[in-house]
Amino acid sequence: MNAVGIFKELGIEYEEMKVKGNKDPRYRAKVDPEKLEDIILKFKNNGFRHFVALSCVDWIKEGNMELIYHLFSYDNLEDVFLSIYLPRDQPKYKSLRHLFPQIETYEREIHEMFGVEFEGNDRLGEFILEDWEDMPPMRKDFDTEKYAKEKYGSVPLVEEGGEKE
Amino acid sequence: MKEFELFVGPQHVGVTGNMMYHLWVDGDTVVKAETHVGYLHRGFEKLMERRSWLMNVALIPRICVPEPDVNEAVYAMAVESLMDWEIPERAKYIRAMVLELARLSAHLLAISGYAGTIGLYTIPQWLIGDRDYILDLFEQLTGARVYHIYIFPGGVRWDLPNGFLRKLEKVLNYLESRFKLYDDLLFQNKIFFDRAPDVGVIPKEKAIEWGVTGPNLRACGYAYDVRKVDPYAAYPDLDFEIPHYPKFGDFEVLGHGCDCYSRMVVRRLEMEQSIRILRQIIKKIPDGPHTLKLPNPLAWKVPAGYAYARVESSKGEYGYLVISDGGKMPYRVHVRGPSYTHGINVIEKIAPGLNIADFAQTAFSLDVCPPDIER
Repeated sequence: MNAVGIFKELGIEYEEMKVKGNKDPRYRAKVDPEKLEDIILKFKNNGFRHFVALSCVDWIKEGNMELIYHLFSYDNLEDVFLSIYLPRDQPKYKSLRHLFPQIETYEREIHEMFGVEFEGNDRLGEFILEDWEDMPPMRKDFDTEKYAKEKYGSVPLVEEGGEKE
Repeated sequence: MKEFELFVGPQHVGVTGNMMYHLWVDGDTVVKAETHVGYLHRGFEKLMERRSWLMNVALIPRICVPEPDVNEAVYAMAVESLMDWEIPERAKYIRAMVLELARLSAHLLAISGYAGTIGLYTIPQWLIGDRDYILDLFEQLTGARVYHIYIFPGGVRWDLPNGFLRKLEKVLNYLESRFKLYDDLLFQNKIFFDRAPDVGVIPKEKAIEWGVTGPNLRACGYAYDVRKVDPYAAYPDLDFEIPHYPKFGDFEVLGHGCDCYSRMVVRRLEMEQSIRILRQIIKKIPDGPHTLKLPNPLAWKVPAGYAYARVESSKGEYGYLVISDGGKMPYRVHVRGPSYTHGINVIEKIAPGLNIADFAQTAFSLDVCPPDIER
């Protein structure tokens, strides 16, 4: 079954993303976090066996964290992006690493960079950063300049490529 | 306590860059492996959120050193998707040409590194030398040898210099004449026959679910290539094959696929296909503009939306998810590098059971590029 068929069967509203350059259609849908696991399984059993990536977006104005689960089907040549939204102040979701093993790595990174908690993933901890004590650095409210000033006592001078204060 | 711990990297001939494999070893056999990354983390994704759409073009090639052009191409394609720009035909051909040259040079590096791990040190010397002829071409085309900053949203930055295609043809002839030597030294070498088949095997039925892409997936017998399954640039007009296990042409089929042997033979055959593609580009490249007429690039406002672009890099699927909120800078960019899966969950799963001496060749045969893991 193709992506549109699955969306219709599950009664999910979807939109088609703009594509230039590549040729395959890409569909994006907002789904209920409670139902996400079943929806991914449905897609997986219908040919979407390539889990491309898990991305996180910090929508600070809306107060949300968006997690985007991206699947691809080598049979139908279609991309599907399934988005869930979590509250930004205490983002928490369950680990889906049993569906595709690489989800574990993405969850480790998103936990470290955005502070999203994934229940059931026992490898959340130091991954890319080392001795990091500040807030997760990919969050939009993380101020890199303030951090550099506090941590290193200065920011680059204008003549060294820094910006004017 | 039977096991001891072994650290391969971050500075070690057995790793593919600045990363570390932490191995638990029982006698000569690896029982557990963990990948540690972070030595190259420069926060590209964060930096991109604070630079204009144009400034990012100069930043992103640095995400993957051996093959920087794929970054420029996917970023440009994603921005074009959001802007709804159709680029001129000539630009599509030039992009395909740059990407194939980049693939050739990256494969030369990958084969060099791999040969070193099984003790064949002449290969790295010769192949790195031959790669320089490709870098010379890039220098003539773009002014830079490694980071080219040439592919641009809307097309490419400038047209081909005079006589470039003639010089390209010469380099292709030279590289092709060298293949016989590479074969004598590595691909027809008894050491390669003895050591590579059936080593570092990815289970074929798991390969797609584990996120394996590129030559590593084709070595498992799947003829999947982004250039065919989600074509871009001028590839729909070009004729080429997808080398995959067990279609190895003149090369013997040793082992049962998904192993170091198949992965390297696939790369060797892909170089022939790249040359075939480049020769077609020399013949078929159309005249016309090399770029669209662009609005003032300092004030680009990219319409709000989501776009995903992907290309086939020498290591596998390389993609950018670009999100715009309608402003002068990207709201969020997520880089999907092929090494993210190969270098972490795949190697951690296939390492147990390997002999210590085979660990390095397995890691190199996956062609992991650590900067695209941690960005």
